[in-house]
Amino acid sequence: MTIFGLVVGVISLILIGSGFVWVIQGERYFGYLWWPYVMGFGVLMIILSLFIHNDWISALLGALGASWIWGSTELKNQAIRAELGWYPEHTPKIHPPFYRIIEKWKAPRL
Amino acid sequence: MKLDINDIGLITGLSLFLGIWLGHVGVRKLEFNFANIKLLSMLFFLMGCILEWISITGEILEWKVIFGVIGVTLIWDALELFRQEKRVQRGHAPANPSNPRHQRILQQYSDASTLDPFKVDLIKPLTTVFNEKSDEGKDR
Repeated sequence: MTIFGLVVGVISLILIGSGFVWVIQGERYFGYLWWPYVMGFGVLMIILSLFIHNDWISALLGALGASWIWGSTELKNQAIRAELGWYPEHTPKIHPPFYRIIEKWKAPRL
Repeated sequence: MKLDINDIGLITGLSLFLGIWLGHVGVRKLEFNFANIKLLSMLFFLMGCILEWISITGEILEWKVIFGVIGVTLIWDALELFRQEKRVQRGHAPANPSNPRHQRILQQYSDASTLDPFKVDLIKPLTTVFNEKSDEGKDR
């Protein structure tokens, strides 16, 4: 009987909570076109977690990765919210590398 | 060479993603259709607590994580139901005219609306979705 699962759950909740903040601030100053990099970072964290033998660190990296992948799908939604006037807009944005190419892709929204 | 793979991180990530996704979609749908969200919220909280109990008493680490993470997201969703109701009141989410609770919201809050602001072409064209729309046109 251990609280490993419960603690991992609470940590996940905190990570998602931090997601609310970085998605809003990230979209405001950097724009939603960063989404492939954010998603890539999330995938990388999960792949990395496979090779970590400490269960706590592995679970933490997995939760971090999942919350970043989720956040990457929220960036576009956040851009729409900002444009609807629900959040203050900030221009110009700091564009990511290759943003001209990324612009042509359909940003994922869940 | 044999690789020693630790699946705990991957399982945590998958449970978290599934938990958020189900919560995201589920909360919006249920809040839209259910008249009594207080009851619903209590059920979510109770279910979350049961999952946490299974997680704590369980022996297999993978299942402890799955139940632990999904249980916590359910408990969060219990709160999120009320946050969703606030969004409906502000007109950030569409109200359901056949839901008695939403009928009251539509009467009391001038910002509440049956229109979904994310289906934006109803209200005003947005440049953010403009490119996407023209892309969709090409696909068809």
